[in-house]
Amino acid sequence: MPRSVKKGPYIHYKLAARIKQLNDTNQKKIIKTWSRASVITPDFVGHTIAVHNGNKMIPIFITENMVGHKLGEFSPTRIFRGHPGTKAEKAAKAG
Amino acid sequence: MARISGVDLPKNKKVLYGLQYIYGIGHHTSADILSKAKIDPNRKISDLTEEDVAEIRAVLTSEYKVEGALRSEVQQNVKRLMDIGSYRGIRHRKGLPARGQRTRTNSRTRKGKRKTVAGKKKTPTKK
Repeated sequence: MPRSVKKGPYIHYKLAARIKQLNDTNQKKIIKTWSRASVITPDFVGHTIAVHNGNKMIPIFITENMVGHKLGEFSPTRIFRGHPGTKAEKAAKAG
Repeated sequence: MARISGVDLPKNKKVLYGLQYIYGIGHHTSADILSKAKIDPNRKISDLTEEDVAEIRAVLTSEYKVEGALRSEVQQNVKRLMDIGSYRGIRHRKGLPARGQRTRTNSRTRKGKRKTVAGKKKTPTKK
């Protein structure tokens, strides 16, 4: 079930405050955040936000197309390094 | 033979089901179109007069996106996801399910035919 429209989109309050502060002072700084569940609003466009993926911060430049998505969608948490079998094949081919 | 938005409708079927041969029209949309065009859904397509077909065509083109236009819209939506580099876009790029389904087994529709990997001998019953 989607979130109630009445509540509006969820944005972590500190993140929203940072964005507002940067917009008011016309600054562009990388904002670090752990709040992957925050929704990207039009205010975010043009900023670079470093989103934690459980290991490190992934810097994301926010474009207009990303509005409405959540920050976590752009900071993948898993790395696929290939299956064990195929890896051996690749190594054999290379070496 | 009735031809609507580039698709030949099967003439031996009832209109309600024949319309569903058009991409983007299912049972619900079909019934909706017919009620708006005031045509009995139980009539056969071969029984339709030219005016009936024109009526259906008018309702359909004014209210629904079908066939090529719909396909390109879907494609654009997927392309947008891929371009912004979102998780769903990455899944589309890799040809894997995008809505969190399991991929250890199943999801053959997205992954296509099984590719047997050499050297994977364990679990011989499962392939």
